[in-house]
Amino acid sequence: MAAGTWNDARTMLAEIGGLSRFTGRFFREAFRPRFEWGELLQRSYVNGYLSFPLVGITAFIMGIVLTVQSRPTLARFGAEAMLPSMVAISVVREIAPVITALICAGKIGSSMGAELGSMRVTEQIDAMEVSGTNPFRYLAVTRIWSTVLMVPLLVVMADAIAIWACFIGVNMQRSVSWALFQQQVLDAVVFSDVVPALIKSVFFGLAIGVVGCYKGFHTEKGTAGVGQAAHSAVVTASLLVFIIDLVAVQVTGILGFN
Amino acid sequence: MDTLEPTAPAATAEAVIEVRDLCIGFGGRPVLRGFDLTVRRGENMMVLGRSGSGKSVLIKCLVGLLRPDSGSIRILGQDVLALDQEALDRLRVRIGFLFQSSALYDSMTVRENLEFPLRRHALARKPAERDARVREALANVGLEHSADLYPAELSGGMRRRIGLARTLVLAPEIVLYDEPTSGLDPITAREIVELILGLQRKYRTSSVIISHDLHVARLAANRIAVLIDGRNHAEGTYDELRAMSDPQIQRFFTSL
Ligand SMILES: Nc1ncnc2c1ncn2[C@@H]1O[C@H](COP(=O)(O)OP(=O)(O)O)[C@@H](O)[C@H]1O
Ligand SMILES: [Mg+2]
Repeated sequence: MAAGTWNDARTMLAEIGGLSRFTGRFFREAFRPRFEWGELLQRSYVNGYLSFPLVGITAFIMGIVLTVQSRPTLARFGAEAMLPSMVAISVVREIAPVITALICAGKIGSSMGAELGSMRVTEQIDAMEVSGTNPFRYLAVTRIWSTVLMVPLLVVMADAIAIWACFIGVNMQRSVSWALFQQQVLDAVVFSDVVPALIKSVFFGLAIGVVGCYKGFHTEKGTAGVGQAAHSAVVTASLLVFIIDLVAVQVTGILGFN
Repeated sequence: MDTLEPTAPAATAEAVIEVRDLCIGFGGRPVLRGFDLTVRRGENMMVLGRSGSGKSVLIKCLVGLLRPDSGSIRILGQDVLALDQEALDRLRVRIGFLFQSSALYDSMTVRENLEFPLRRHALARKPAERDARVREALANVGLEHSADLYPAELSGGMRRRIGLARTLVLAPEIVLYDEPTSGLDPITAREIVELILGLQRKYRTSSVIISHDLHVARLAANRIAVLIDGRNHAEGTYDELRAMSDPQIQRFFTSL
């Protein structure tokens, strides 16, 4: 029992060390010349554009549900008019970034873990390396850049869709004009809501990309290892999203943005 | 094709690969324990060893995929273990590597697999030039009509041929073959060996062939090094080895 816990702790520390080294290597290689633009574009299409429908539908539903569920509480305080501002602030600050990041952790994390993992166990990554192409630069750097760029973009789109869904939710009970709704949202959401959320999203993207690539590159034990890599990429990336969220709320608090 | 034999190197040919006292182990268990090997230009050197004896580990050390614990490796006059990443990548372009599993990029068609190394090294900049090289490489292995197939659509023998074509498309000076015939039926295996010999003759490559298969040894090798217990146990031509009385070497022949 004690030995098991000790081993688990050691595995976890080794994992954290490995992930940190992988991240460090990404930053060393990320800005070096001879950049793989074609591969970055391809990955951004796969990881960004193809994730959009899922993120969009989820954001739409979250927007409506949040609006409909918050109404009775606000109505009890006679504050129903606050509905658009309240929903908009929660969406921009927390709901859209975290929901988008979790969807991406699941969708992108697992597909990167499985794709790179199967390339690893079938020696495709070794083949690339011996033909003189650095697989870290070609495969990992491009994929991590794509999530760093695409996750914040998806978050902005999720913001827009969820707020639009909120407008629909508000209008389910009372008729509110788009102009008035828009005015209320723009009055409520300020710079210090948007910017920290976007910065946080960049870190979500970084975590998802790094974990997916790290798990894929370090796949062992044949085909079974590929499933394992995909699974643990999702678990680790999701966990990291929450940890980053927690750190971010502390940091914005210290900087006086909360 | 039956008369095809490995072309013998000139007696004075310089060494293109020199491995000295190579040691590597995994988790405290030694795999290579002071392995020595010399390959001269134009020679087909075969390393014969049982499954799990460390043959793949040996050639992975040669191209820097694995780092040995000690020893020295010189290839084409360069000290592999002392090279920085860029110099190593430049050297790797001059060395071809055929993987046991063929290791084709399965998200790419056969054509894209062959074009990948050409694009990466800007060796054939114009599309027409690239096309010509891909066509030649496919013709070399007799698979001109497979350019637009995906690896999943190929048979094992075809994959091995495409792997060979991809290895040779960069015109390497040295080719390392990891069990080129394993998992193939005897007829296909024979065809692959003949292809290897034909291409060696055509492009004047030096090669290291790793295998446990004595048929390959007899057909393709100028010289054979026997890997036993992590060391180069004995070395010689097929006939020289067969004449040796050493029981560990005779075991390979009696299993024929
Ligand atoms: N990356 C590795 N990590 C740990 N052990 C390895 C690794 N590669 C090879 N080995 C071990 O080294 C030994 C030799 O393997 P290998 O060279 O693949 O044998 P073969 O001669 O059949 O090609 C095997 O026992 C294998 O388990
Ligand atoms: Mg092997």
